[in-house]
Amino acid sequence: MSEGDLLHTVTADNISDGRRRLGKAMVWGSAGLVAILGLWQMLHETGRVSGGFETWRPVLYAYLLWATALCWSQVIVRGEMGKRTLFVLPAALFVISLVVFPLLFALYISFTDWNLASAAGPQPNGWDNIRQMWSDAFYWNALKNMVYYVVAVSVEYMIAFGLALLLNAQIRARKFFRVVFLLPLMLSPVAVSWMVGKSMMEIRFGPLARLAREIGIDNPSFFGSPEMARFMIMAMDAWTFIPFMMIMLLAGLQALPREIIEASKVDGATGWQSFKEVIFPLMLPVSVTAIVIRIIFKLKLADIIINVTSGGPGGATDSVTSFIFREYRDRSNVGYGTLLAIVYLVLIVIFITALLKLVSRYMERPA
Amino acid sequence: MKVELYNYIRAAQKMNRRQMLQGSAAISAAAMMPKGAKAASHSNVRAEILKIPGVGQGSPTDGDWQKVGEMCLGATRENVAEGEFAGVELTFMGLNNQNLHNFLFRGFLKPWEAYTGAKINWIDLAQADYNARLQQSIATGTVDFDIIEMGAPFEGDVLGKGLASEMPDWVKDQIDMDDYVDYLKEPVGTWGGKTYRISIDGDCHTFAYRTDYFGEGGIGGAEVPTTWQEINQVSKDLVGKEDPLTGLPAHGYLDPLKGWGGFGFYFLENRASAYAKHPNSPAWLFDPETMQPMVNNPAWVQAIQDVMDLIEAGAYPADQINADPGTTAFQQFLAGTGSMLMWWGDVGSNARTSDTSVVGDVVGFGVNPASDRVYNAQSGEWEDTRNEAPNMAYIGWGVYVMATVDGDDKKHKAAWSAAAHLGGKDLSLWASAYPSGFQPYRNSHFQFDEWEEAGYDRAFIEDYLGSNADSYNHPNAAIEPRIPGIFQYYSVAEDELAKGYAGQYGSAQETADAIAAAWEKITDQIGRDSQIAVYKASLGM
Repeated sequence: MSEGDLLHTVTADNISDGRRRLGKAMVWGSAGLVAILGLWQMLHETGRVSGGFETWRPVLYAYLLWATALCWSQVIVRGEMGKRTLFVLPAALFVISLVVFPLLFALYISFTDWNLASAAGPQPNGWDNIRQMWSDAFYWNALKNMVYYVVAVSVEYMIAFGLALLLNAQIRARKFFRVVFLLPLMLSPVAVSWMVGKSMMEIRFGPLARLAREIGIDNPSFFGSPEMARFMIMAMDAWTFIPFMMIMLLAGLQALPREIIEASKVDGATGWQSFKEVIFPLMLPVSVTAIVIRIIFKLKLADIIINVTSGGPGGATDSVTSFIFREYRDRSNVGYGTLLAIVYLVLIVIFITALLKLVSRYMERPA
Repeated sequence: MKVELYNYIRAAQKMNRRQMLQGSAAISAAAMMPKGAKAASHSNVRAEILKIPGVGQGSPTDGDWQKVGEMCLGATRENVAEGEFAGVELTFMGLNNQNLHNFLFRGFLKPWEAYTGAKINWIDLAQADYNARLQQSIATGTVDFDIIEMGAPFEGDVLGKGLASEMPDWVKDQIDMDDYVDYLKEPVGTWGGKTYRISIDGDCHTFAYRTDYFGEGGIGGAEVPTTWQEINQVSKDLVGKEDPLTGLPAHGYLDPLKGWGGFGFYFLENRASAYAKHPNSPAWLFDPETMQPMVNNPAWVQAIQDVMDLIEAGAYPADQINADPGTTAFQQFLAGTGSMLMWWGDVGSNARTSDTSVVGDVVGFGVNPASDRVYNAQSGEWEDTRNEAPNMAYIGWGVYVMATVDGDDKKHKAAWSAAAHLGGKDLSLWASAYPSGFQPYRNSHFQFDEWEEAGYDRAFIEDYLGSNADSYNHPNAAIEPRIPGIFQYYSVAEDELAKGYAGQYGSAQETADAIAAAWEKITDQIGRDSQIAVYKASLGM
């Protein structure tokens, strides 16, 4: 035990060998129980053993017993040190149970041909799903659309920054505008889909269509052409989430040291120079954080698309999530749908890791 | 009856004072009658139940449902002794749409529970959750219900896997199955020669049109089009004209060009059935011997081409590419855009009762349009004969008993007795005449005298329900294939059609080929041999 650890030790632990053995026996015994029950149940389910449980519930109970034994044994075996572990261990086990296990199960499912309508149930099918994905024009089209959607974040960022600067300035009714600009963020994207996408943009009676006719566009069409439809989806999504970026940037602006900005003014910098040379560089860490979080939000984009265009026209607005939704919900194609989701997860992890690596040097405030 | 239809009829007709008094007097008389007398007057049951609560007397309540359930118990009494099912518990899974379905069943079955001694537990599901819940129950082997309210398209998933209980003969007699309209008779509700379904509803697509577009001096021509060829011609000719009602641009037939969770495919079927459903075979979607899709044969390609032609001609309203079936019916047709539409029964009923509808006084109904020529898939040739094939889209709801009761004789009889009570001949008349979520589905439901006596307007009933009756009993009705995963086929077809309509495929043939390829994949995934077997079974082959 190092000196640092000793400093925080309240009681001296005199742990006997017997106690240690008991603790270890608890863990290994319960782990063995889980393994035996799990194996038995698996053999029963696959028809190799006749006797078995009706459901997997007993195995779950054995797992819970093991988890309890593991936590308990920490204290039995390691005393005070074990108590410290207990602060984290239950949470870690919880995460492992609800994230890691399902993820492994999903990984297994993604290499099966499981279609809920198939009488045969999930059957491993090797690399078939990967091959299908490789030649699936809908999936690649959706991935391509995601690139457009992610690129659109840069425009959202510019608008959000502009609004944040505006709300940070000494304007009249500033508090009122801050609340008003936040309102879209409080709406559910589903509400936005119906209120804006399906009502305001309704082609005959929608106020936006009427406005378009007023200004001389005879046959307004918001979702008729692929480009227009994609732009409309981007616009609705942006309208909902720009306030989110704006509020982050506003917080960043308010935290800027006033002296530096004032100093730049004293030195004779114009408004633009002061923004370009002082405010923008100082805001980089906040900006990067806002953009990264927004991109993560964007990668989940689905609800507006599902409600307004169902991915149309001809897949022009499809996002990966909305496509998986159709594959999974409408077509009960659990195996292939899961594979698409897993591949997307891997792509996201790679993309976000690379992105963070790339921008890491901007994340630190310049000294 | 669907709620909207009920409201429509009430709005469409004005009850005169005499009818109203007749109705009220009858109710008062019925209320004063002793219980025994009511049961004894079995022959009058149909007339009596139609007076509960009386047309135009407000929506029926739980008390009314129980009263109807009580008055229709006669058939149960003949087959079941009082208290015979004491101690039996059954679980019923159904919908809770619009506070109908299960809510009515509860009321109808309360007197049945009191008489038989059985107890029913309820699983209420929203429509949107229904499919997923059912599929998951099937896939994970956790069927936790004994009786289910289910649409016929799922029969492949449930009956095909042996999850349901075969109907005993006494039930067939009790519910008088011969009275069903033709398309609900075999093979619908049967599997491998065995009967499973008690029908409680009927569904089909009928043709709705604007009467102010057609007739002498009408912008659409003197006659209402009756074939798809005429419909396309009229739709093209209407380009550039003005709608007589709204003053906005006139449009012809409204095809939904966007998917709708699989349901959008029914609307291409409406066109295709006339071309592809030859009277010589019940099969029109797959080759029953190989499960090879027929969706890329010349008949289907013609249907897709028809839609593409109208896109090309600019005959649709702007943004039609983003219009799903719901949009075409409720935001377009009822709001005065477009002059022709195919839809289920409720578009007609909404025409007068919906606040957003402007076409209430100018809407007429007919059966699914025909075609001048029909494709004979067996000979591979077009035949120049007129062909009509109404599309029985979705087939309607039924009640099924699950195989979970098969091991226990008492439970088995109890479950079937409960189901038979819900599908009883008299009780179904009431359900088709009042808000219930269900449409008429028996020949006896179309005895218009009964409706008239109950207080309905005869002309309306004959016109509106007549189009349904004609479709139901059509000798060449196009029946939905009840195979596992049928909505998967529809859903993937919608995706490919969307690409085709957006011009991403070179032609209608390429679009159809893409659908066929996707269907082949699904068939292989679900299992070709088993699909062939269930497809044949579902067609009664």
